[in-house]
Amino acid sequence: MTLNIAVLALLATMGLALIRAVKGPTVYDRILASNAFSTKTVLLISVLGFVTGEAELYLDIALMYALIGFISTVAVLKVSEFGDLGQPRPDSLEESP
Amino acid sequence: MRDNPVLRVVTKIAIPLILLFALYVQFHGDYGPGGGFQAGVIFAAAFILYALVFGTRAARTVVPPAVLRTVTALGLILFAGVGTVSQLLGSQFLDYDALADNPLHGQHIGIFLVELGVGITVAAVMITLFLAFAGRQDEP
Repeated sequence: MTLNIAVLALLATMGLALIRAVKGPTVYDRILASNAFSTKTVLLISVLGFVTGEAELYLDIALMYALIGFISTVAVLKVSEFGDLGQPRPDSLEESP
Repeated sequence: MRDNPVLRVVTKIAIPLILLFALYVQFHGDYGPGGGFQAGVIFAAAFILYALVFGTRAARTVVPPAVLRTVTALGLILFAGVGTVSQLLGSQFLDYDALADNPLHGQHIGIFLVELGVGITVAAVMITLFLAFAGRQDEP
């Protein structure tokens, strides 16, 4: 019962984060919302693992989601700041021969 | 992003953990969620994180394109080689029962090697794709 309430609360929070990601006036709102969404996804997968009683399988997936979510946040931040995925710093496009 | 100390330190801590988790997904795929494709993608994600933070030019020195091409072919050769060996042992292509005296043991060896080949190829192809798209400026 408690776990079901936790799932519902997490889904509500994820919905609010999605609304902020879609509406967000600035790029920081969107990035913060998507980061919060990926964190909530990790929590939701973990709680679903305990709901189904196979926590050890679901915790593996949650761990992987946490690692990949970090990478996706870094990638989105980099594109929003540099406009490019491959350069180490913003001005190296002009420096490179 | 190399100048950002938080990102640099977190990346250097996270990359070994991601690589270790990829190997866990690869070799624990028989008993839990996972397998060759997923492990390859997670393994490549570590290199993609490195390329994001330190630039694709630095990533190219870590994994040169020639090495990536060779490794891609090696994984495919491992996959096809398992199938051909089971054929040479008098069975069907990719019929793992012939790989050992005991069919159960043969299945275990065969699936292990085939998943390893899939993982190696997927990791190399994913890194190649990212470097090809994100590192267009590095081309001479």
